[in-house]
Amino acid sequence: MNVFLMKTIRGVGALALICSSVTAATAQTATSRIVSAANTFLSTLNEKQRQGMVFAFDDEKQRANWSNFPTSFVPRAGVSLKELNAAQRSAALVLVSSALSRRGFEKVEQIMEGDEVNKVKEGNNPIFGKDLYFISILGKPSEKDPWILQFGGHHLALNITIAGERGVLTPTLTGAQPAIYTSNGKTVRPLGQESDKAFALLNALDENQRKQAILSYRLADLVLGPGQDGKTIQPEGLKASAMNDRQRAILLDLVSEWAGIIHESAAAARMAELKADITETWFAWSGPTTAASGTNITAYYRIQGPHLVIEYAPQRLGGDPSMHVHTMYRDPTNDYGRRLTTK
Amino acid sequence: MNTKLVAAAALVLFLGAPASAHRLDEYLQATIISVEKDHVQAFMRLIPGVAASSVVIASIDSNGDGVISEAEQRAYAERVLGDLLLTVDGNSLRPKLVSVNFPETQEMKEGLGEIRIEFTVDLVSGGPERRIVFENHHQNEISVYLANCLVPRDPNIRILAQNRNERQSFYQLDYTQAGSSSEPASLKGWSAIRGWVGAVGFASIFRLGMRHIAEGTDHLLFLLALLLPAPLLALGSRWAGFAGVRHSLFQILRVVTAFTVGHSITLALAALGLVRVPSRPIEVLIAVSILVSATHAIRPLFPGREAAIAAFFGLIHGSAFATTLGELGLSRWERVASILGFNLGIETMQLIVVAATLPSLVLLSHMRSYWGLRIGVALFAGCASVGWIVERLLNVHCSVDVIVDGVAHHAVWIAGVLFLISLVCWWLPNVLDKQATTEQLSPPTLKRI
Repeated sequence: MNVFLMKTIRGVGALALICSSVTAATAQTATSRIVSAANTFLSTLNEKQRQGMVFAFDDEKQRANWSNFPTSFVPRAGVSLKELNAAQRSAALVLVSSALSRRGFEKVEQIMEGDEVNKVKEGNNPIFGKDLYFISILGKPSEKDPWILQFGGHHLALNITIAGERGVLTPTLTGAQPAIYTSNGKTVRPLGQESDKAFALLNALDENQRKQAILSYRLADLVLGPGQDGKTIQPEGLKASAMNDRQRAILLDLVSEWAGIIHESAAAARMAELKADITETWFAWSGPTTAASGTNITAYYRIQGPHLVIEYAPQRLGGDPSMHVHTMYRDPTNDYGRRLTTK
Repeated sequence: MNTKLVAAAALVLFLGAPASAHRLDEYLQATIISVEKDHVQAFMRLIPGVAASSVVIASIDSNGDGVISEAEQRAYAERVLGDLLLTVDGNSLRPKLVSVNFPETQEMKEGLGEIRIEFTVDLVSGGPERRIVFENHHQNEISVYLANCLVPRDPNIRILAQNRNERQSFYQLDYTQAGSSSEPASLKGWSAIRGWVGAVGFASIFRLGMRHIAEGTDHLLFLLALLLPAPLLALGSRWAGFAGVRHSLFQILRVVTAFTVGHSITLALAALGLVRVPSRPIEVLIAVSILVSATHAIRPLFPGREAAIAAFFGLIHGSAFATTLGELGLSRWERVASILGFNLGIETMQLIVVAATLPSLVLLSHMRSYWGLRIGVALFAGCASVGWIVERLLNVHCSVDVIVDGVAHHAVWIAGVLFLISLVCWWLPNVLDKQATTEQLSPPTLKRI
């Protein structure tokens, strides 16, 4: 079963690659590609499955129905990969990958694979596993009218709003436990770049900047985790207006770890927006300021700008905070693409 | 408390709940404050971890029937608000509960439940530069805190600074409010009066003092054990009969006053930072003080010197009160004010306890059978104190708190029933041997009623 699953996902990855090169050749837009992948997926489902995973576009309850928790604790609506047959499952993953960048989809796969590793580690605990990820659609897949694609489970919540040619990924949660594992002899750190780039930024700061960036208090968890949509807290730490160009470049590169999960054209638009905001963007750090190479930081950090909140929160649970992390990616002005979809 | 957590954590592991999925032994309390023109709004999320949930649920489900009723939800929310200290420009203000939202009990047991409490505080108008201090003392030993404020919606309000202690139980917000002095003069005078009342009220710190005694069963037991023989006269190494109403009242007054003087001294010294005492030995000594006073209630150890003993142990109890106050992280001037408020709270609660038990003690101590009550309560206090000494010395758990809290939970009923019994016994002097008091005690110094 597991071997089969792995093969499927790899197959899907290859399929996605082929798809993307085909689409590049035919100059299809990202949105039309996603819409056709969504329609293909929907056509593989029976009526009951379809009804179970399609919601109204403005269904606020379903919009906020995501969490960092395993799906047995916080049940997600929609249809899980486990409930799908091979063809349906591969169509579902083609849909998800069509809305994401290559790097973004890889991150998602690694998070899911990590949950499989966790499952084995916990004695085949049925609350974990890479088939316990749910897919749902809010609204009707359309190239013109806005709709939302949700995909998530334990340590993952993608909320992708498609509005015409625009794509919005906020709010999105990523997490990893174990945050470092080996797969086929290769070391995998699903959120390793988020750790390494932040650590590089901290080390690129001078003494005075560090004093401002490093907070004097501990942060036990995400401040704006699940359920905290639309809130903008007072920013703290070091403002990027006090950074030099090199430091700002590292900061933007770090932000791209989240902003770049969505497909390339939406990511480019998002990065342009965040770049324009850069002097109003803050970086704050709380916790240990050291980390061995190849391991994850054990500190919390937050990046906040006029259209951005990113939080990285190592979790004490499991004993080693470098092995368990939750992250949150938000735009409080544009949760579920509100800025684009409300007139 | 820590031992409870370890036990609970062990239980969780034993039951095989997945260790990797959710919060474990902490009680996460996250507060987001929103400053508006004329009020402060706050949203609290309280999430007990798996191992902390049993302690938290037990404290919510006060009647222990396994169901968290709406009344218990509200009572708990009010208790949480009572554990907050909120001051605006140095004036302590009482938060008003807006809404409370509870998860399923099962969710809480799994460490997933999120209790949501929303409250507001009305702001009187003040100067252009304002300061809000928010302190959370709820379940201090097991909690981790988050405190933040929202970017103000009102463009006239601008956040200047946020300061916190390391664990975020203390949060200080400085902001400016433009156009704050544009109020009509008549309103200004009124709000100045309201501000003054708020300033001299010490309301929340006073309540903290009262609750410290009401819930600090060890302080209560010490006081009760010391009061038990107060109406009696010591004859050699044993307690003889009733020593007269005036003697009783005078004796009780002396003991309570001496205790107050004692704990006020150490509370003031420690709260002002002039002396520092480690809390663990103090906790042990408090348990010892109960053992001593309980023994004294059975056999007089220090007849006639109760006041001195009360004052001495008062010094020890005061050091413990100071720990509570010290956790607040107040400035020196705020501390002086809060010592007064806190102490007044303690005094008030003590007086309530004395007022509730004194009539029964005086009425019942007429009778020979009073020894039964005296020995019974003293033995209970003695056993509890031994339990506490063992717990606090060896850092082990022997559920003393559970038993004592269980009894203390029904304190009002017990006191009421006791008073009724004592009234009945007083009205029916023939049923019991009231005359014994005069037969046994011949010394001329004794006064009859």
